[in-house]
Amino acid sequence: MLLSFLLISSTYGAAEPGGNGDATRDMQCGGACHGDAALNETSLATLTLSSSSTVYAGIPTTITLTATNLSLSSTGVVGFFLLTDTTGHSDTPQDAGWEVLSDSNGGAANYVEQTLSSGQSETSVSWVVRSSGIGTTSFFAAIHHGGSSSPFFGVTPSGYSVEASEVPENLPRLSADFTPQSERILGVPTELVLQTEFAESVQVQWKVEGGAVMSAQVNSSGENMWSATIPAALQPTSLQWRAILQGDGPEQTTPWFTLTAEEAGWEVEEFAVYLQAFALLFLIAGAVISLQSRFSPLPESSKYDQTDLLPQHLDTAPAIESVTDGLSEDSEVAPLPAGGLPNGWNEDQWRWYGHDYLAGKYGGGQE
Amino acid sequence: MEMVWPRLFGRQVWRWTGMISPQTFHVVSTELVVGAFSVSGLCFLFCLLLHLDVLKKTDWKPLFDNVAHFTLVFGLAATPFAVLSGLSSAPGEGLNSPILVNKMFLSMTGMGFAIGVFASRWRLGTNVWATSKTTALHSIAGLAACGSMLLTASAGGTFLRNESLLDVLSLPYDAVLLFPTAISGISLVLGLGLLVLGWLRMNAVSSIH
Repeated sequence: MLLSFLLISSTYGAAEPGGNGDATRDMQCGGACHGDAALNETSLATLTLSSSSTVYAGIPTTITLTATNLSLSSTGVVGFFLLTDTTGHSDTPQDAGWEVLSDSNGGAANYVEQTLSSGQSETSVSWVVRSSGIGTTSFFAAIHHGGSSSPFFGVTPSGYSVEASEVPENLPRLSADFTPQSERILGVPTELVLQTEFAESVQVQWKVEGGAVMSAQVNSSGENMWSATIPAALQPTSLQWRAILQGDGPEQTTPWFTLTAEEAGWEVEEFAVYLQAFALLFLIAGAVISLQSRFSPLPESSKYDQTDLLPQHLDTAPAIESVTDGLSEDSEVAPLPAGGLPNGWNEDQWRWYGHDYLAGKYGGGQE
Repeated sequence: MEMVWPRLFGRQVWRWTGMISPQTFHVVSTELVVGAFSVSGLCFLFCLLLHLDVLKKTDWKPLFDNVAHFTLVFGLAATPFAVLSGLSSAPGEGLNSPILVNKMFLSMTGMGFAIGVFASRWRLGTNVWATSKTTALHSIAGLAACGSMLLTASAGGTFLRNESLLDVLSLPYDAVLLFPTAISGISLVLGLGLLVLGWLRMNAVSSIH
């Protein structure tokens, strides 16, 4: 009955209603049911991708996904993919030579999740990506979310083409191996370190959601190295920052990078944890064994147990002593036959074996 | 002090088993543990109900007794593999989540109950069912072992999927009750002492015969 109740009460398609977490995922989402055509339903959401008109190879750029007409489950959790094809495998931007530098959640994943409020039917997600070479790439966006009874899945019907062209000579830019910091700890000012090429001056701007754009003080810390200080965050939140690079070439503005402030990671002294774990193990096992051995009655007598044959008090029946001592007394010695000792017997033999002789064991007998 | 040996040993365990990831090995071993302890707990529950005269089928007592202890030992044997593979497969380095710490405490608590129940039944035989007090103690300890393991599995579900069947109980998995090291050390010594004394007492009972 319990099993039947549990089976009936579970809802189909509610495998992971809390989401699966931001990560680098292909369209099949690791085999999740949202990607299985036999199980899902088509999402009615409208997905639109956009990016800046000019994209250079090796220079970060922003791709934005706008989702409208959303109809989600009661949890409001929705997941968005940025893909480079729809085959279901090897379809992430990384597979096409694009690096995801930042996503709107503060990570660097092609799959991000959002929890929307009830009634919210529109949202947007952005990724800062960087191409490793020139050429045209088709980007696709996909969405999955829950619904009334089924998992829903949707993907853009056609690719959004992004052409990465060759970088103009002398274009001030971030260095090709620059990776933006995406996380920082609460309560500590953050020093951003920028590596640039062909930049003679750098400005850094930052903003929080819904706030004004602020400027950070930038200092040169070496050749093509710059540092900017962002004020400390007092609560878990995220801000966005960008750099404006000036040099001989045309002025260049980077995309907005997301910087998330989080509490310091949870830490515990592992030795104390393991010590307490083993203490619990031995304390509980010892307590159970001690209590049982104390309360349990003695086990039933073994079939080999002959202790009941022993005298109750050994000191009142010194059996061994009496046998030994009795041998010296005549009363314990068998009475001699009428003809005296049997032929060939001596007195010592008679003392020990006289009773057996009389019993006929040695050819004699009671006469 | 960082305790790395459980992670290293855990990795060795799953390597010995072949080319499977520690995550898969953890799933397999935890399914064995949870399945075995569930059956064991069910049988201990029936034993308790028989003792309380809620169930009247007293001739089923040996069946429940045997199944409860067999599955308990089976689950107990699989538990170390589940713990070690869990340490290896957890994301990040070390115990970086209170849920992982609570899983460790719950699984070791369950192992403690299971070892106590198994050792008692092994050394004292059916005398653990001889009196009302010992029957209640044995059944409740067996049920506690099962309950601890199910709570461990529930914490694992909360850690991985952010949901669990036992979410209705609103268990505080995010809170860790960590004793000072001195208290844990004293508890460890006390536990070892109780274990040795109890074991010697049970052996003394046997050696009389």
